[in-house]
Amino acid sequence: MPYRRKNRLLEPKKTGFALNVTSMTDMFTILLVFLLQTYATSDVEVKMDENLRLPSSNSDLNPTRSVQVSISKTELKLNDNKLVGLSEGHFSPADIDQNDGFSISALATELQKLSGENEKEEGNIFVLADESLDFETIRQVMYTTSMAGFPKVKLATVIGQ
Amino acid sequence: MKRKHFRKMESEIELDLAPLLAVMVKLVPVLLISSAFVQVGVIETELPQVVKESIQDNKDQPDKRIELVLKENGSIEISRSANGALENFSLPPSASGDFDLALVRQKLLELKEKDTTLFSVELKPEAKVSYSKIVKIMDTIRKSPNGTKFTVPGKSGAAPFETDLMFPDVVFANLFSKG
Repeated sequence: MPYRRKNRLLEPKKTGFALNVTSMTDMFTILLVFLLQTYATSDVEVKMDENLRLPSSNSDLNPTRSVQVSISKTELKLNDNKLVGLSEGHFSPADIDQNDGFSISALATELQKLSGENEKEEGNIFVLADESLDFETIRQVMYTTSMAGFPKVKLATVIGQ
Repeated sequence: MKRKHFRKMESEIELDLAPLLAVMVKLVPVLLISSAFVQVGVIETELPQVVKESIQDNKDQPDKRIELVLKENGSIEISRSANGALENFSLPPSASGDFDLALVRQKLLELKEKDTTLFSVELKPEAKVSYSKIVKIMDTIRKSPNGTKFTVPGKSGAAPFETDLMFPDVVFANLFSKG
């Protein structure tokens, strides 16, 4: 009997490490509820960058899928493809059509290609413009899109800020 | 024997939360990635039929219009033409040098109350006016303040229609004028 007791003392103790996951589950539940509440998806994927800050508006309409033109302080993109560079929010005279004196040549060429391809767009164009840009720059883009067969301009804004 | 049975009833049931946790750990990143935290909207209004008809009427009657010239210095020139008569108003800039939105709202509310069938406004911002200021003006004039309703007479015997929309149809009138 004493031998047995001694042997039992020599045996390594079974130390099970039980992790208490209750508090972690609580945290995840709260996080999940919060995420589900704020969950919002959009039909249109908009890529923002540091030079593109959209103006805020109280209009809460969702954008529909259409041709996207984004104008930041440094570049003009058509469907995420950079077309023209801007310096301090203005187009350089070299990028402007010499005959017309107002439309942006590269944008006009690309839009004319698209207007032939996508009849279903029905002349809709989604313009994402930086809030600090002058109307002059926006006007040049809107003029070009209208002349290239996209007269229905929709201005992108950030909802309620 | 009886005591033994009682002890069995007292035993605790341990709930295994590990699978639940595993599901949550997977679900949280999925939601974080797919959710749009910055929601993008569009300035374009889906309008009631009566309003759409009135806008079309406004376009058919070029002498019945309101024009807003947004100046670089923050002042606004409003001109309203109706039945050949032309009225001009000049709104000074606010103390901060921006457009006085409260004054614009008040003036356009007055014009709207005079003729509730007017829904279109021609905007003429000057070249150096910033885009964010133009959007603010468009926001200000789109709907009436404090939900004031206007009664639009129905066309061809239809019942009058109530709406809080002031000037939802904005046209950039100087888009094609160069210089």
